[in-house]
Amino acid sequence: MIKVKNVSKIYPNGARALLNINLEIAKGEFVFLVGPSGAGKSTLIKLLYREETATRGQVIINNTNLMRLKSRQIPMVRRNIGVIFQDFKLLPNKTVFENIAFAQQVLGKSKKEIKENTLSIMELVGLAGKRGSFPSELSGGEQQRVCVARALINRPNLLIADEPTGNLDLETAWGIMELLDQVNKYGTTVIMATHALHIVEKMKKRVIRVEAGKITEDSMGRASTSGI
Amino acid sequence: MAFNSAGYILSQALVSLRRNIWLSIASILTVMTSLTLLGCAIFFLANTSYIAQTFESQVEIAVFLNEDLEKGQLEELQGRVKQLEGVATVTLTTKEQAITEFQGSMGTGTLLEDLGGINPFPDKLTITATDARLVEGIASRVTGISGVNKVRYGQGILEKLIMFTHWLRWIGIGVVAAFSFASLLLISLNIKTNVNSREKEIQIMRLVGASNTFIRWPFLIEGLLIGLLGALLAIAVVGIGYTWLLQYIITTLTFMPVVANQQFIINVLLLMILSGITMGALASAFSVRKFLNI
Repeated sequence: MIKVKNVSKIYPNGARALLNINLEIAKGEFVFLVGPSGAGKSTLIKLLYREETATRGQVIINNTNLMRLKSRQIPMVRRNIGVIFQDFKLLPNKTVFENIAFAQQVLGKSKKEIKENTLSIMELVGLAGKRGSFPSELSGGEQQRVCVARALINRPNLLIADEPTGNLDLETAWGIMELLDQVNKYGTTVIMATHALHIVEKMKKRVIRVEAGKITEDSMGRASTSGI
Repeated sequence: MAFNSAGYILSQALVSLRRNIWLSIASILTVMTSLTLLGCAIFFLANTSYIAQTFESQVEIAVFLNEDLEKGQLEELQGRVKQLEGVATVTLTTKEQAITEFQGSMGTGTLLEDLGGINPFPDKLTITATDARLVEGIASRVTGISGVNKVRYGQGILEKLIMFTHWLRWIGIGVVAAFSFASLLLISLNIKTNVNSREKEIQIMRLVGASNTFIRWPFLIEGLLIGLLGALLAIAVVGIGYTWLLQYIITTLTFMPVVANQQFIINVLLLMILSGITMGALASAFSVRKFLNI
């Protein structure tokens, strides 16, 4: 499903974020991306939904080379990808309900359908009482859950999560992990960058370690314990 | 379009106007101020050019004729003058009419008798020209016609008047050009700042999979509404202000020519609305475009 071929990313300021990365992820996999801060995890993730472009190499998702997309084709690709952003990226002038509904509005769904789907996913992530609140009125954990709900509402083929449990207490974090696991069981490919070692250990999924812009480990089931 | 209705766009635009209420009010006031200045400038131009036109149209050539002309000769002379290029009207005032008018203006009916039955007024032709700049040429040609005694048209003053009206027109045009430019700049800068402050918002929309059209339309409509509301306030100010000024001038400065054509006033106000919505919408659309590259 995802092929990353010989990808390097050097930012305009000269920072070398990724160096000749090669990676394949099959449909339906659940993959953890681990590694120290600044290792290139976020850059790799941003390449997958084309917030960033590679300096060299190819990023291919479902046979589409993301590096060759025209500006107007980009939204079409993103609609099949749910992203849980590290900084949430909520629309500040929209309510919780509107933020989540927005992902459905861009698809042109009917008002009734949008309302039903939005309310049910809000229930699922535990935001039922926050319908009319604005992001600035929410705690970090609540904002994160809005972001999770928005990423999941369109039942994407690919779910990308950058530190989705970073701001959550243990219980809520596991709630989110169960949700991601469930989504994965229904066939969605999940890629999750995290520092939460206990989660990685317990989930027993494929683990890819990125260090200094390179993949240093790609194993099943567990992460070596250093430097996550 | 990938989304279903104009209703969505309009509701998004209205909600956004309301939630960014202070920014919206600031933008509306900027549009209002700019367009008010522009409207004032247009009325200033219209009036300066009208004043120039009125002054010029009041330039007349007075042709005093020889004493001994018969009635038929007078009419023939009037006909010949009328044929000259640039002549708009020629009016004949016979010596009898002249003295009657003069008596009338003096309020006495016995002037002719007081003068011993001799009428001192000559027959006179009054010529108006189609263009003040042609007056001098007409005057010199009329001077050469036999039967003409003296020609008067305000020599010396006419040149100054033409110079004055010439500058008056250019100043009017300059003022309008300057204010159009200033208001265009003010409005587009303001709306740009408005949109720029929402750069993050636009980029998030892109990242969530919104197409450019989907993002752009609500912003465009929002800009259009800001332009419209600002323009409506501006035409209220300019419309009421100008009408009041007209009333004042017509009743107190009666000698001053003013443009009071209703249709013209309405057209200027419509032009202001059109400028407001066009500038608002375009400035928005262009500013948003900058952030759609993510």
